[in-house]
Amino acid sequence: MKAKIFASLSVLITGAILLYAVTDFPDFGDPGSPPNAGVPGGAPSASRYYLENTYRDTKVPNVVTAVLADYRGYDTMFETVVILTAGIAIFAILRVLRRDDAPAAPDPDPARTDHTIDGDHHRIIVGTTCRIAAPLIQIFALYVVAHGHYSPGGGFQGGVMLGASFILLALSGSLRETLTRFSESDYMRMAFIGIVIYAGLGLLPMWVGRNFLDYGALSGLFMTKGEEMARSHSMLGVEIGVAVTVMSIMFAMFANLSTRGRLRGGL
Amino acid sequence: MSEHFPALILLAPLFGALVIGLFGLRDHRVCLPATLSALAVSLFAAIALARQVATGGPVDYFMAGWEEPLGIGIQLRADAINSLLLIVIAVVSLLAAVFTIRPAGERDTEKTPYFYILFLLLAVGLFGITIAGDAFNVFVLIEVTALSSYGLVAIGSSKRCKVAAFHYLIMGTVGASFYLLGVGYLYLKLGSLNMQDIHRILDADGTLHDTRAIRTAFVFILVGIWTKMALFPLHGWLPNAYSYSPSGSAAILAPLVTKVSVYVMVRMMVSVFGLDRLEMNVDWGHLVVWLAVIAIVAGSMMALAQREVKKMLCCLIIAEVGYMVGGAWLGDPGRWGITGTLYHILADALMTSCLFLAAGAFAKWLGVVKLDDLSGLFRKMPLAATGFVIGGLAIIGVPPTCGFYSKFYLIRGGIESGQWFYVAALIGSSLVNAVLFFRIFEIAYFGKNPVASHAHGHGSDDHGPHDHTHDEAPVVRREPPLHALVPVLIAAALLVLLGIFNGPIVEFIRTGLIETAKVVSNG
Repeated sequence: MKAKIFASLSVLITGAILLYAVTDFPDFGDPGSPPNAGVPGGAPSASRYYLENTYRDTKVPNVVTAVLADYRGYDTMFETVVILTAGIAIFAILRVLRRDDAPAAPDPDPARTDHTIDGDHHRIIVGTTCRIAAPLIQIFALYVVAHGHYSPGGGFQGGVMLGASFILLALSGSLRETLTRFSESDYMRMAFIGIVIYAGLGLLPMWVGRNFLDYGALSGLFMTKGEEMARSHSMLGVEIGVAVTVMSIMFAMFANLSTRGRLRGGL
Repeated sequence: MSEHFPALILLAPLFGALVIGLFGLRDHRVCLPATLSALAVSLFAAIALARQVATGGPVDYFMAGWEEPLGIGIQLRADAINSLLLIVIAVVSLLAAVFTIRPAGERDTEKTPYFYILFLLLAVGLFGITIAGDAFNVFVLIEVTALSSYGLVAIGSSKRCKVAAFHYLIMGTVGASFYLLGVGYLYLKLGSLNMQDIHRILDADGTLHDTRAIRTAFVFILVGIWTKMALFPLHGWLPNAYSYSPSGSAAILAPLVTKVSVYVMVRMMVSVFGLDRLEMNVDWGHLVVWLAVIAIVAGSMMALAQREVKKMLCCLIIAEVGYMVGGAWLGDPGRWGITGTLYHILADALMTSCLFLAAGAFAKWLGVVKLDDLSGLFRKMPLAATGFVIGGLAIIGVPPTCGFYSKFYLIRGGIESGQWFYVAALIGSSLVNAVLFFRIFEIAYFGKNPVASHAHGHGSDDHGPHDHTHDEAPVVRREPPLHALVPVLIAAALLVLLGIFNGPIVEFIRTGLIETAKVVSNG
């Protein structure tokens, strides 16, 4: 009880301090606010630069994607690394590997533990529906990944949908069945391959003496006329890398969390 | 190639982690060579970068080549303030990696590759935080660092380390969120995330830094970073997280994570807000120095109460964080306090590394956890114990180890700013450290009843039974294997070297401090 009072007090104080500063903020949506217009003495506003020059620099109509994957692509690469790290940490904590705990617990009747929803007729309806839905979800996810240049979307959102499609299959059918299609060694490897795609695309420009992630140097590789299209194509590549990692880690987390790291039985 | 060193420093461990992820999960023999070579590349790049900084001033690196206008891309910046810390991070993580080598024949667990992946990702995060020139980028890399450290704490097999990791996770997340809120407020008010740019904006408009939003932003950034560095009232997560984690994890976590957080605080003070502006709010600074004094006293008192070696060292870290925070906020006109803090970051990283490596070796090969178990240590592990003694002398502050000189600069700052309580706390804490370590030395050297060694048979160098015989039981000399002994001795030697060469190092840091302040403000 005491802890609760203390916690609520500290939350109230933190909130009060945050609110105290709010009165000092620029108006919501004010075109003259510092982020939009820049501040005298500093560099010209970055957001204005993005709005005015993104299409010229990258031929990408969706400014958000260009900022995320090109101008601040270094941050995004590490956000993807954060997701990978979280997945690896969960794996390192939860996964029960046979060599680690000497007598591996015997598998108690795989037919029962693996198909908890199995056996009753609900599974026919739910399972069939989800099996039909999964490929559609995946196709839409691929569209979201590939269309990130033009509309809201991109690697993170598409990757989450791809991961969700596998989770849906595991929930409605059985985890074991899903693992035969997307096995542990597959998703672990793909989680790393996603980062390899991202960081590798970033590393290639260094080969010709340009800075890390300077995709403009890749116009030869993509056989584009100018550097702008090379940037645009690389952004797609980077989004694919993000999507691959996010998908794999989503599923890896689900598989480990739902079965306490045994990848058997579970929900 | 040489212009790419700032990126290379953190790309090497990143790709090392990827190589382990792709090839090391099946074949564990890949893990260690990949880790060691990646960190060696980082060390090489860090040294080369420091030389560039020494000859040509700060080195900037613009990710993806987005240089103009400043702030549209992400800037990496190595200057005299952080280039030495980069070297120390590389050295300490390399020593910790060497320490984790498994002797031939020792059972390797299935989770080994995951340990090394998290280890390298932690190094990536630490390098990235240190070299970042962008306030938001610091947050992203704090996340990488934090998540990998939770994993490294929880990867141990005991239940206690999982609980400790959970506590650490909650506190760490709160700290990171506070930092992010602060950066968000800064962006709302200043429209920029680039540190140099923020500094120029604050310079251009003299009234801006006194607005509510900027002050709140600064407070939130500070409290967030303080949580990350375990400043006294926010320290709760630290002792358990570092003492229950596996020795290999503790050898990289304990020396580096808190120190890099202190560096972030100094970077925010020097390059973002500007020392001149902080000095206008001297009362504020005094408040923080008081917090630091409390941290020093509390850390020392808690250390006195501990009965376990690693727990005691963790409490000392809390006191040392107090030294550094206090030194940074002294606000003395000669800026000796902040110089001392920057030097102490390097010194403390190496001291903690030395002590935790030695304590890890004692725990692993002698089974020593409690202070009382240390009796007869000098006969069992003369060399490793010598390393531990040098580490202890450095913490106490005995010349010519670096601990003496860092305290010297901090005390000079304290005297010049008239912060007598801080000076008293520093000296008092040194006395407490002396009591602590001489108690250990006494147990280790004169300890009456050497407990039977709990070593598990593996890993002893097999020097054969030595001719030392004790009253009751024959004491067998069993130094830890070379891969564990060498890092301890290297760390101890570096402590002395850092002390002897304190003159040029401090001069380098001071030119950096003055230069950064000037370059940043004249733009």
